[in-house]
Amino acid sequence: MSRDTVDVAETDTSVERRVRARRAGRGALFVVMLGVAVVMLYPFWVMIVDSLKSENQFLAGHGFSWSSWRTLSSTIPVLQEVISSTIICAVSILLILAVGLPAGFAFAKLKFRASGVIFLGIVSAMMVPLQAILMPEFVNITRLGLTGGYTGAVLVYAALGTPFSVFLFATYFRGVPDELIEAGIVDGLGYVGALWRLIVPIAIPAIATVTVLQFIQIWDDLLVGLLFIQNTSERPITVGLAVLAAGRTTSIPALMAGSLLSALPAMIVYLVFQRYLVKGLTMGIDR
Amino acid sequence: MAEITFEGVTKVFAGNVTAVDHLDLHVADGEFMVLVGPSGCGKTTALRMLAGLEEISSGTLSIGGRVVNHVLPKDRDVAMVFQNYALYPHMSVAQNMGFALKIRGESKDEITRKVAEAASILRLSEYLDRRPKALSGGQRQRVAMGRAIVRSPRAFLMDEPLSNLDAQLRVEMRVEIARIQRLLGVATLYVTHDQIEAMTMGDRVAVMRGGKLQQVAPPQELYDRPANEFVAGFMGSPPMNLLRVRTAPAEGRLALAVGAQRLELPRAYEASHELPTDADCELVLGVRPEDIEVVDEAGSGPTLRTRVERREALGAEILVHLALVEAGAPSSVAYDEDVAITRPSVLVARMAPQARVGVGDVLNVRLNEERLHFFDALSGVSLARGTA
Repeated sequence: MSRDTVDVAETDTSVERRVRARRAGRGALFVVMLGVAVVMLYPFWVMIVDSLKSENQFLAGHGFSWSSWRTLSSTIPVLQEVISSTIICAVSILLILAVGLPAGFAFAKLKFRASGVIFLGIVSAMMVPLQAILMPEFVNITRLGLTGGYTGAVLVYAALGTPFSVFLFATYFRGVPDELIEAGIVDGLGYVGALWRLIVPIAIPAIATVTVLQFIQIWDDLLVGLLFIQNTSERPITVGLAVLAAGRTTSIPALMAGSLLSALPAMIVYLVFQRYLVKGLTMGIDR
Repeated sequence: MAEITFEGVTKVFAGNVTAVDHLDLHVADGEFMVLVGPSGCGKTTALRMLAGLEEISSGTLSIGGRVVNHVLPKDRDVAMVFQNYALYPHMSVAQNMGFALKIRGESKDEITRKVAEAASILRLSEYLDRRPKALSGGQRQRVAMGRAIVRSPRAFLMDEPLSNLDAQLRVEMRVEIARIQRLLGVATLYVTHDQIEAMTMGDRVAVMRGGKLQQVAPPQELYDRPANEFVAGFMGSPPMNLLRVRTAPAEGRLALAVGAQRLELPRAYEASHELPTDADCELVLGVRPEDIEVVDEAGSGPTLRTRVERREALGAEILVHLALVEAGAPSSVAYDEDVAITRPSVLVARMAPQARVGVGDVLNVRLNEERLHFFDALSGVSLARGTA
């Protein structure tokens, strides 16, 4: 056998070995991900199954009944609370986008004095936890007389979510070539026109990312809703569930039904936007 | 349609960097003006000032007789083609092309008609519904052109529009752009660093270096009568050979010392050039590669004795690198950082592929005595009378 043939044979086996190793790696990864999926999905499964039992059936461990859903709707105004949560989320996110988009555009594409320092200031606001500023915020909002309905909570959520959105949009827009905006300007647009007609359409992944992340955060939040919304008729679902758990009922199936109800919208929003979410979060990586 | 005039236009960037230094340039109505120079010479900045994307530090810039120094880009009515095309990724080809018209508020029918017309000129009709992502490089380039021409602007500004294309496509699009420009007759300022584009496309070519305009002339004139060493070295591939020589007149005849060799010059140069009459004055001699031919024996005309150092076969021609023999005193190619030709005492000659030359051969070469160029050794300015 000549030397060449030996080399070729060796390469063959090494290629085979590598292919086998990759397959084994994939298999192991699959098993791990399966485990993760089970851990993640099991609570949902429990929620669904247990919410479809009466209290006795729950204690017995089997059976099927809608009674817990009836208990839930008769104890707290579920529908009203879901609507409240939706309104709070929608308005807050709109505010966040309305501020974040132009600010991100300005930081990424316009040259102005101290833009770096201001950007740093805004981004460092991301590090401040809600709990740290909750009390002063409460005092401020109370002085403004906004603790009754949605307004105070919406303002707090918008203020908390904006720094992240500015950061995300600025990062995203830095990846957009200047020429694109310049082409628009030569074509007859101003900066506002360029932002609205050229940048926003190509920033859909970033907008989706901000929307999903903020939606999940705001929808799931209890603290702000509990403190800043004092009218019971404008209470969000998380506060409703907390009240429920705090003593109006001890029915586990009813609590499960409520939890499921409150978890669903966030899940739906995530599933609808997840395609963009991945794009928005990994942007810049493939460039 | 309109003419474009730069009068003493200067751009100073933050940090006191002068990108464009007192640029005076006139582009006539319908003229195709190519702005060429090495990277960083200020050509793109000049173009961006014309588009309104860059503020003017001083001077006057006018389009069609109207001073536009402080006019917003959208009110200048110029169309620009960018190097990377800058197509709007979320719009179809038709929408890309019609976007400026839509902003201007033209009717839908009018936009459709104009886009269709431009598309047929550019052979894009079948791609109108596609997104830029689904197009090839050449097609994208044509869409970028289309976006410019549908507007019937007063001027076209093109910033290296062909530099992202492969070589073959570039040749095709070169012809295409020149054809469309002639068809529409719109004043065009075309920026490139490629001297072949400059030579083939422009009615006139403006050569820039370090923010300063070096020469403006029709391409052939630029090639035949460069105003200075830089233009001589920049235009032409391979560039003009530039040798540092000394005057050595004898018996009333013009002659040069090239290293240890003597080069007799025809008398005609006394009339056509301002050559120093004293002995031992330094100057730069320029010879185009095609103006060097091999002769049997040192005969009539200016001849040099050289050795073949390298031979590059290009198919249709060969480039022969010749070193001066007995180059006692170091004579060197005078030029320079930008064109990167610092090869001491080497001449490049362009020869027919049949020429029987091999590395190491010693050859007598004759310089075409009618086509010699002389430049001042210090300033680099051409010594020919009636230039610059």
